Amino acid sequence: MRLVLMLLLWASAALAQPEAPLVARLSQDRVEVSTTFDGASILVFGSTAQPIGPGGAEILIVTTGPQQPFTVRRRVRVLGMWFNGPSARFAAVPAFYSVAGTLPAWRLLPEALRSQYHLGLDVLPMASTGARAPQFRAALLSLKQEAGLWQEDSAPVEIGANRLFHSRLPLPATIPAGEYTVRVLLVESRRVVAEQVQRFVVERVGTAATIADVSRGQPLLYGVICVALAALAGWLGSIVFRRS
Amino acid sequence: MQVYLPIAEMSVDALLLVGIGFGVGWLSGLFGVGGGFLLTPALLLLGIPAPVAVASGANQVLGASTSGVIAQSRRGNVDWVMGLVLVAGGLFGSMIGIQLFAFLRSAGLVDAVVSIFYVVVLGSVGSLMVMESVRAILRRRADAPARLHQHFWMHGLPFKIRFRKSRLFISVVPPLLVGAGIGLLSAIMGVGGGFMLVPAMIYLLGIPTAVVIGTSLFQVVCVTSAVTIMSAWQLGSVDIVLTLLLLLGGVAGAQFGAQMGGRLRGEETRALLGLLVLAVAAMLFWGLIDTPDHMFSLGPG
Repeated sequence: MRLVLMLLLWASAALAQPEAPLVARLSQDRVEVSTTFDGASILVFGSTAQPIGPGGAEILIVTTGPQQPFTVRRRVRVLGMWFNGPSARFAAVPAFYSVAGTLPAWRLLPEALRSQYHLGLDVLPMASTGARAPQFRAALLSLKQEAGLWQEDSAPVEIGANRLFHSRLPLPATIPAGEYTVRVLLVESRRVVAEQVQRFVVERVGTAATIADVSRGQPLLYGVICVALAALAGWLGSIVFRRS
Repeated sequence: MQVYLPIAEMSVDALLLVGIGFGVGWLSGLFGVGGGFLLTPALLLLGIPAPVAVASGANQVLGASTSGVIAQSRRGNVDWVMGLVLVAGGLFGSMIGIQLFAFLRSAGLVDAVVSIFYVVVLGSVGSLMVMESVRAILRRRADAPARLHQHFWMHGLPFKIRFRKSRLFISVVPPLLVGAGIGLLSAIMGVGGGFMLVPAMIYLLGIPTAVVIGTSLFQVVCVTSAVTIMSAWQLGSVDIVLTLLLLLGGVAGAQFGAQMGGRLRGEETRALLGLLVLAVAAMLFWGLIDTPDHMFSLGPG
């Protein structure tokens, strides 16, 4: 219901400004991750001046989270025991990545343009140091996809009334905090004819976030507090639960 | 009831953690040990990352031992001089341990090395306990007298000081080394080390049993405090939410366990504890040799 209302409102607003080839918005620009957070989803929606869908133009949506370093390690067997062996370090890959479209990106754009806009896991820049074998890159791809943190065409972008589109962006419980960029592209005859960029932030809130912040910002103080709290809790507990 | 652990960065059932704390506390009360060597493996099996399991385990042992050291010092059962020598060694050992831990973490070897430490230490301590208690049970049947304090090479070492409470005049080197060894294990395994410290104090240093418990508890509290602070400072791996949930169950469990423990005989208790220690070692050993589901692992950094 909310979705329909939002789309209707948006449609009327878009019709009032016929000059914009593409307008896009997000249902929210802030995602709060509290202690009970178990995933969320953001709605990406908008409208176009020209008809979209079969016979017309197409829409692509690519979402990128904060860049983070990751290390992929291969397990090796030494003396019958399993250890982490050779590793490849990916200095800056997106902690979250999602690409979706009214059709898969590879059917709409030539590879050069897909690379330019990072449309597709196969063209995601993943520079690494360390072990060179291609299995490390493949392992990063599959581990990230399994965690739901990298998504490619998990659900198509839906079209309504020829000029409206919307897509649900699922954010898993393990979504990292930071700034996210949503890029919406209008594609026609293998070219990008218009683009719109929207942003949202993922923030940790509540007691857990405060604890994590103190432990990072004031690690020495945090250690002393942990000692004091544990000693106090142990001492109080022994009084409360004393038997005999 | 799911609760988010801010440092481990994962959601765990709070009641499960309290339950684990209670179970380990109950066993530790029953057998009169700290229980860190059962707690950290339990956390590892739950999927808590090894650095967090170790650091929070040490923090929990600190909390669980606090009331004990207060009670023992009131009764005058702490040899403070011996305690300080052990703590001095312990601080040195735990500092080395934390550096080693930081290095292992950057090499991605923490999980395997923590498990190996557990398998080796628990395997040998468990075997010794079982053998020693079986021998004691047999000796009890044969009614043979046990040997008392004896002199050997250790008593020729320099830097002797008088430990009045322990009625000893020995070199500070052995207690320093014992303390350092326990400190190292504490930092890497997240244990207090009482299960090794107590036998070392009795058999190696010759400290009278009356002051052993109080003095070892004093060392354990000081060293686990140091491990907690250094882990929080250098590794950022202490999860206070995890610690407090475990303590909640642990303190209650220990009281029930201690009540039951009074009814068990010494040798039988030690044999049972030895078997339990061996079982934990076997479980962790299986984790090391079992073929993993994934041939690759993903970590930050």
